[in-house]
Amino acid sequence: MRREKKQELELLLLTMFAAVPLYGTQTVSIAPLLIFHAVMIAIAIRIAMGKGADVIPASVMRALGIAYVAFYAIDAAVISRSAIAASTHLVLFIAAYQPIEAMHKRNDAQRLLTTALLFIASLATATHISIVPFVIVFMFFLFRQLIHISHTDSVATGDLARRSGIIEPPSARAAGFYVTGTTLIGVLLFPMLPRVRNPLVPGMAEALNNASTGLSDSIDFNKDRSISSDATVVSRVWMGQEAIPFFTPLRLRGMVYERFFANQWLQGRRDFVPLDIRDGATRIARPSGVTQRATIQQRLVSGNRLFLPTGSYEVIGPSIYEGPTRDIYSIWNRRDLVSYDVRLARSTIPFRQRPPVLANYPVTPAVTALARQIVGTETDAMRQAVLIERFMSNTFTYLPDPAAIGRPISVDEFLLKERRGHCEYFAAGMVALMTALNTPARIVGGFYGGQLNPLTGYFVVRRADAHAWVEAWNGDRWETFDPTPAGLRPGNGSSGFQAYASALSDSVNYFWDRYILTFGLGDQIALVADAIGRIRNALTRADIGAHRGVRDFLTLRSAATAAVSVLFIVVVIAIARRRRTAFDLLRDHLRSLGIEVGQATTMEDALRELRRHHSDAATSLQPIITLYEEERFSARSTPSRTAIRKRLQELRA
Amino acid sequence: MSSAVGLSDLRREIEHHLPTSDWRFQGVVRLTRVGTAFVLFTIVIGFAAINTGNNSLYIGLAFMLGALLLSGVASQRGLRGLRVEFDSLYEAWAGRPATGRLRVANRSRIWNVRDVILTSDELAEPFFIPLIERRREIVIEASFFFARRGIVQLKTVDLYTRYPFGFFLKKRRVRISGEVVVYPRLLTDEAGRERFRAIEGEQHSVNRTGAGTEIHSFRDYVRGDSLRQVYWKKSASLGRWIMKQTELESGRAVHVVVDPFKPRGVPDDEFETMISQAATFIRDTLDRELEVIFSMPRLTLRARDQQQAAAMYRALALVEPSYEAVVQTIDRNAVLFAMRASDAA
Repeated sequence: MRREKKQELELLLLTMFAAVPLYGTQTVSIAPLLIFHAVMIAIAIRIAMGKGADVIPASVMRALGIAYVAFYAIDAAVISRSAIAASTHLVLFIAAYQPIEAMHKRNDAQRLLTTALLFIASLATATHISIVPFVIVFMFFLFRQLIHISHTDSVATGDLARRSGIIEPPSARAAGFYVTGTTLIGVLLFPMLPRVRNPLVPGMAEALNNASTGLSDSIDFNKDRSISSDATVVSRVWMGQEAIPFFTPLRLRGMVYERFFANQWLQGRRDFVPLDIRDGATRIARPSGVTQRATIQQRLVSGNRLFLPTGSYEVIGPSIYEGPTRDIYSIWNRRDLVSYDVRLARSTIPFRQRPPVLANYPVTPAVTALARQIVGTETDAMRQAVLIERFMSNTFTYLPDPAAIGRPISVDEFLLKERRGHCEYFAAGMVALMTALNTPARIVGGFYGGQLNPLTGYFVVRRADAHAWVEAWNGDRWETFDPTPAGLRPGNGSSGFQAYASALSDSVNYFWDRYILTFGLGDQIALVADAIGRIRNALTRADIGAHRGVRDFLTLRSAATAAVSVLFIVVVIAIARRRRTAFDLLRDHLRSLGIEVGQATTMEDALRELRRHHSDAATSLQPIITLYEEERFSARSTPSRTAIRKRLQELRA
Repeated sequence: MSSAVGLSDLRREIEHHLPTSDWRFQGVVRLTRVGTAFVLFTIVIGFAAINTGNNSLYIGLAFMLGALLLSGVASQRGLRGLRVEFDSLYEAWAGRPATGRLRVANRSRIWNVRDVILTSDELAEPFFIPLIERRREIVIEASFFFARRGIVQLKTVDLYTRYPFGFFLKKRRVRISGEVVVYPRLLTDEAGRERFRAIEGEQHSVNRTGAGTEIHSFRDYVRGDSLRQVYWKKSASLGRWIMKQTELESGRAVHVVVDPFKPRGVPDDEFETMISQAATFIRDTLDRELEVIFSMPRLTLRARDQQQAAAMYRALALVEPSYEAVVQTIDRNAVLFAMRASDAA
């Protein structure tokens, strides 16, 4: 059965539209998508020209369909190496096959299902805010198609098409109405849908495919380093204005490099160690000094590592693991965005006092001499660290682009000869100097600074804020030092209008990420708790207000408000009474005479009943009932409700 | 008389006229194929959303649930606002479609109702209404079909709709009140009609009893006679009821007598066939522009055209078999429709 040309074209365009977001999600490669759209466009052109959809002969497509069964396995195992990609290819093939099949049998419902599958594939892998208009536009055309199919099915029922010959196209207005309704219901439903994760599918999520930060698993000084400025948001940290003086500049730590090998700094190897969660929080250290709670929204850019602010001693919300290295934490998660809270302290003390071993950096006499020269007679390890930090910060040159040196250099060359480099050289150089002084030290990687968003009050940290600094062991805990010159560290770039525009743009993204993409069970619980709290407060206020109410009522304004309210109610009642039907008026009158008029009682019956009890009253009421019957059953257009009301009033008088 | 329309023929004829009813159902809602696919798809997406915690899927799920909910509410509220009233039906013959009028009003203030299918046991075929706008009323001319003669009470009409998305086939049974007198089934068998065809010029203008004004003769009262025919003067003088018989006035009149006596053992079908034959005969006679004088116990009617014959058809529609013989005065030229004991099976 051939559908109308317009409907057919609309469905083809809808199917093509459903697959558009796949170009940006890397679920499948570009080639199959281009082939799919090329075939669909060719079909659409043929149909627009009044020809059949068989851009490829149906018999060939059928053979291809059979062959695709075997091809699917090959695709999943060899070509795509991904069941999701292979399945998406299959759906694309089916979507291109079905319009050709539709020439021989009606399959519009199946085609819509395939289109919906493509839509879900697009939706599931998209995280950008632009999916909202995409969903609404898709829904609009989907509803138009569904209304059309529903109409066609209804007409086909009992062969009505032949009898009535009525076929009307679906209305765009109707589709618009239902899209609006569905969107409103969707917005209400979205926060209420249960966010309970399936316990059967735990596991560490993979890193983002396109994750490329300034951070890497190792710091390799044998290779040229090039750092591109990437404005992608990595994390947002919201700690409240009062905490900013104590906990900024912000340092989000997620890497610890403590082993040196062949001019590379490597992370320590360690398995994942689950940590106990109590009352929804996981303690990772003991706090010392001022504490503050902060909310963090983070993109998982390096495996499942959490980039916790320095000073974090408790993580609230998700279950976390210590690993893959010491003092670094990860989360069970399959999404690339997570939200959690932490408690911060000015400084933290590890639960277990395990004095670290000295870094295995091969300190040369020249480096030792330099270290001694910097610290002079100072013997306290932390004071020595401060001196080294200050020395490097003041006398070494920071190079934002490592390629400017022209060749890979070693740490010794950096310390003794070049004296210029990027943050990793600064951090590695300080660790070398501290090692020369027999103080355990390590390089820490993460993000530094960020920018305070004045609109929303959070710090936004981007990939360009990737940074490396140093932690030195003071005998009790690790102390943070940063030999990179402060003014040249990341996060000090833009200002003025650009910064404000950036903040505005990020605020919109923040809302999307926070309340849509990362909305979870915790948010739902918070929402319910908030609602309960508000109700409780309202009740408390109402209780207090009741006492105050009597006193307030005596004021002129309250009295005027009450009078207007009463007047309004009276007017509403009067209008409601005037709008009563003639039947209601007569029923009330009969009721006043002791005659009950039920749903199934006619006025004739009631009059007969009245005549039995009060013949006089019946005689006087009869003309009015006759008037009512005339109004009720005649084709006369003038309503006599007013006349009936008037006659009844006269009768009562 | 041959049983031209037996029960099996009747059933066949009803089945021929009534629409296929595979889409009809008991209850108020049924998932369609599209709806089933959509619901299953929603469940899968819901499972995937819960499994992965992917809020993009939750967005899709929220929209899909919203669509399901809105679809259900729209069709339910739309149907709830519909009122159906039986307006009129011109002439209903058993076994033949008859056109009647129904008023359908949409009292909803919000919902336009589309694609409503109206069905009933009495409707010859489902009636499709593409659109009833909110707070509007439409009058539809639907084809009715009644299998048997008699009084038929129109009680309910079923309204079905798939609108808006075709996920559900929703049904609402609406009460209506209407009464239709269904005339007997007319025979289609030409041969059967020929047997009873009146012949022009055959009528006698004299010496025939009939529904005239001139007195033809007198006789004793028999059970079933109308009191109007009592000749009171003679009855008083003789001490018993005497009935007057009038002379037939028109030479073009045919006297049809129907005896509703049904001997025991005679099947109902035979009786119905006899009534149908009488009705068919009257109709054919009137079509030939002859006058018909119709007699049944306690009833004598006269008609010159089909319009006047409505009372005769109504009488035939309502006549019930009598299990006791009723004596009737029958003119020797009258056409008698009666069951004989030999008709018993």
